[in-house]
Amino acid sequence: MPIVNANGVDLHTQVLGSGPSVVMVHGLLTGSLATWYYTAAPALANDCQVLLYDLRGHGRSERVAAGYDVDTMVADLEALLPHSSDTPVILVGHSYGALIALQFALKHPGRVDRLVLVELPLPPSKMEEITRFVERDPVDMVAALPESMQQVLNAGPRRRRATRLLEGLRFLTMECSLLKDLVAEEDVPDDALQSVQCPVLGVFGSRSSCLSVGDRLGRLVADYRQVTLEGGHYLPLEAASALTESIVGFVRG
Amino acid sequence: MSTTPQILAGVAQAIREVIGEDWIADELIEASTSFTDDLELESIEFVALAEKLQETYGERVDFVSWLSQMELDAIIGLTVGDVVEFIESCLS
Repeated sequence: MPIVNANGVDLHTQVLGSGPSVVMVHGLLTGSLATWYYTAAPALANDCQVLLYDLRGHGRSERVAAGYDVDTMVADLEALLPHSSDTPVILVGHSYGALIALQFALKHPGRVDRLVLVELPLPPSKMEEITRFVERDPVDMVAALPESMQQVLNAGPRRRRATRLLEGLRFLTMECSLLKDLVAEEDVPDDALQSVQCPVLGVFGSRSSCLSVGDRLGRLVADYRQVTLEGGHYLPLEAASALTESIVGFVRG
Repeated sequence: MSTTPQILAGVAQAIREVIGEDWIADELIEASTSFTDDLELESIEFVALAEKLQETYGERVDFVSWLSQMELDAIIGLTVGDVVEFIESCLS
C-alpha cells in the first residue's frame, strides 16, 4: 500500500498505467479512491498515468482531526504532485473532489491541462443533497444511499461492509472538523469561474440538485461542455459506464 | 510454474492478510467464494488485494487492464476462482 506523506498527512495513493498525467479526486464521506478505481481509472490507464488517492480521513489515508476545508485539501494535492513537473495534469473530481480540482486549477492555471468536474457542488453549503445528507445520523446516512450501493453494503452474513462504512462515517461526522469545514465553505465567485482558461467538462446527474451548477458553468466558463447523465449525485455508481465513456472521450481530446 | 491449487492458496493467503481480522483465519476460501457475498470485502480492500497480488506475480498480471474490461456489476460479482483463473491465464 503506497502511503505518501503529503502536507503532514499520510495519504494512500495508487498509480495506474503510464502516459500523460491524470489525477482523480473522490468525494467526501462515502468516497475513497475506489470511486475511480472501479470506474474511469482503469480505462484511462490504458494510455495515461493515473494517480488516485484517498482524501485525508477517507479510505486508507490517515484519519486526522482537522483540515477538511477545500484550501487545506488543495494543499494536500499540491504536496502529492511532483514539484519538479512542469507538465500540466488533467484533473478529474467528483463532488467535493470536483471542488478541490477546480480550486487547484484556479490557483495554478498553468498546471492544469483539462478539468473534469463531476457533480460539482457550488457552494457545498447550499447544495440540498449534501446538506440534507450531512444533517442525518450516520445510520440514516447509510440508509439514504442509492439502493444499488445499499445492496452491496448489506450483502453477506456479517454486514461487515455496512459496519465498516458506518464506523468511517462516525469518525468523519463526529470526530473531526469535516462537517464544520463543509458548511463554512464559500462559493466560487463568478469572476473566478470566468478566469478558467483550460477546457472543462461538467458531468451532472439529471435528478441531482447540482444540475443547476452546470448552467452557471456554461454561462461563465469560456471552454465548457457538459454531459447530463440519468441519475443523481452518485454518478460513479449510478451511471458508471456512461461516466467513464464521457471522461475518457474528453481526456483523449 | 504455479499450479491452480498453488495460485488459489496464494490468493487465499493474500485475502487473509488484507482482511486481517480473526474470523478470516478459519474461513474456508475456495474457488466459488464470492468477494462481495462471502468475504464481504470492502472496495478499498480489493484495491489492496490487487496490489498485493501484483507484487507477487509481477507485471504479467495486469489487474487494472482486466478491470477496465469489466462493468461494475461484474466486478461486484467476482469470485476467488475468477481471480485465480485470470492469474493463471496471465502466467501461462
